[in-house]
Amino acid sequence: MSPEINPLALFVASIFTSNILLANFLGMCSFISISKDMKSSNGLGLAVTLVLFVTAGMNWVVYNLVLVPLGLEYLRYIIFIVVIASIVQIIEMIIDRVSPRLYITLGIFLPLITVNCAILGVSLFMEIRQYSFVQSLTYGLGSGLGWWLAIMLLAAIRRRVEKAPVPAGLKGPGITVITIGFMAMAFIGFGGMLPVQ
Amino acid sequence: MNKQSFVYTVVFTFVVAFIFVALLAGANAMTVEQVRFNQQIRRQRAILTAMDVPYETEQEVAEIFDNVEEVEYNGVSLLQLDFDGETRYAQEVSGGGVWGTIRVILGIQSDGERLLGIEVLEHNETPGLGGRIDEDWFKRQFREKKIIDGTIELNEQPGEGDFDPDSGRIDRITGATGTSTSMRRIINASLEEVLPVLGGER
Amino acid sequence: MSDVATPTAILKENVWTSNPIFMQVLGICSALAVTNLLVNTWIMTLGVVGVTAMSNLTVSLLKTFIPRKVRMMVQTLIIAFYVIIVDILLRAYLPDISRALGPYVGLIITNCIIMGRAEAFAQSNPPLISLWDGLTSGLGYMGVLLAIALFRELLGFGTLFGYQVLPNAFEPWIIMVMPPSAFFLLGILIWVAKSIMIKQGEPV
Repeated sequence: MSPEINPLALFVASIFTSNILLANFLGMCSFISISKDMKSSNGLGLAVTLVLFVTAGMNWVVYNLVLVPLGLEYLRYIIFIVVIASIVQIIEMIIDRVSPRLYITLGIFLPLITVNCAILGVSLFMEIRQYSFVQSLTYGLGSGLGWWLAIMLLAAIRRRVEKAPVPAGLKGPGITVITIGFMAMAFIGFGGMLPVQ
Repeated sequence: MNKQSFVYTVVFTFVVAFIFVALLAGANAMTVEQVRFNQQIRRQRAILTAMDVPYETEQEVAEIFDNVEEVEYNGVSLLQLDFDGETRYAQEVSGGGVWGTIRVILGIQSDGERLLGIEVLEHNETPGLGGRIDEDWFKRQFREKKIIDGTIELNEQPGEGDFDPDSGRIDRITGATGTSTSMRRIINASLEEVLPVLGGER
Repeated sequence: MSDVATPTAILKENVWTSNPIFMQVLGICSALAVTNLLVNTWIMTLGVVGVTAMSNLTVSLLKTFIPRKVRMMVQTLIIAFYVIIVDILLRAYLPDISRALGPYVGLIITNCIIMGRAEAFAQSNPPLISLWDGLTSGLGYMGVLLAIALFRELLGFGTLFGYQVLPNAFEPWIIMVMPPSAFFLLGILIWVAKSIMIKQGEPV
């Protein structure tokens, strides 16, 4: 049975109050390496949002209409990852056909996405929380937008941090992780402002 | 045989996938019973904890649980246990949290004056934020809490626990207002259903 | 990679000088969320160590049979296989921890360290040394996360592995239980580790 949660509340919560990256720590690997550069961050953010939205819906269909009726729930990890990998491939081909210009921006990021834990994470959360189809879609979209927002903010902050005098041992990953910590604190503040969390 | 050939690739992938899936199916089948047993034990423990009934061993849980009865008064199903010379009630309730369904067991005194306690069966809230409803301090707040005007309310400010049994209030969790209000809603919905039955003829 | 792959050299490299967390902050997504309690972290990282070691061993054993075109897919399949085994075992024998870890067990699949070791080491090395490589990589990862969990549990609850160690008068730091503290502690750990490396003259 799906939980009684307004899909819209889920959408807002997944962007702000419990950002998939800042509260659930998902999608960190590419987050830290790509956020050095704002333009790439934007491209990756867009790609993640797109893939999250599509895979959340697709994995919902596969899980609830194929795996559950067949009693194969324990295979979900393998199936989810295969679905994600195939969808990334298909999206890559479609974008290549439809908009070569967009392909140039997004193309290099798409392969990175298959191993982005945020994508698998959203599918697993969707399954364990028994979301309905609509809830899964809004949750997927919200999480993607939240991730996009977080990487853009971090990229902007890192441009400033680069010019700051940082102790040698703290340079690079160290200061970045601590910056993310401050962002996470700021995002928790949304909990008091928005009625959803 | 050419290892890069199409046929080899397809056959290899198929065979590997088949072996792994077969092994997993076996492992899954072997543990299905154990998993079901775990869930049952967990539910029994949760019910006893919510009713404020002490237990130590698994055997003790099973023994005490033998006396727990499922009863129904005016269409409201409750769990009933005579323990320590008094009748105790519990109800399993669920409702939407921030992320998913929260299922709790709510223990209530037979006169409906106070709660006995609560236990969280299942939740999907964020670890470190809403997930703290499953921490001991949060649940301990409900022990013998006085039910004022048929409800349990939240304190205005988040805190580390309101352990005054007569306050009728509990502290909300820092950074998790939504989960806290969900808990209040779920508990009060249950009280609204259960209290008239307890107050009425029995 | 070092030129001579002796077991001790691999140990030092995987646990310290090339520790994937310190150097690239890789693979923390699957585990940082559960670092607020030592027990959860311990089981979770134990799972990662097991999966890394076993998938490295399996990839190395099968490497001559795997067609190039489907290499990544087969590696993913092997990793997913061991992760599901871990998940099934937890569900059956450690149900409370399985519940606390929730979907994070499944996320071990996307842990970049495991795939990275399979690709960079197991693919081109004999089975036993690959097993060792996987084991030590996992241990390096385990060390860092346990260190974070140690501080989070001690300061956030006043307990270690669930046992009260700080006096009741100690006021728990709520921030330590909340997500941001994991980032702060990780940042500080990276800082300390890198500073020591710089002092020792290791290339950073």
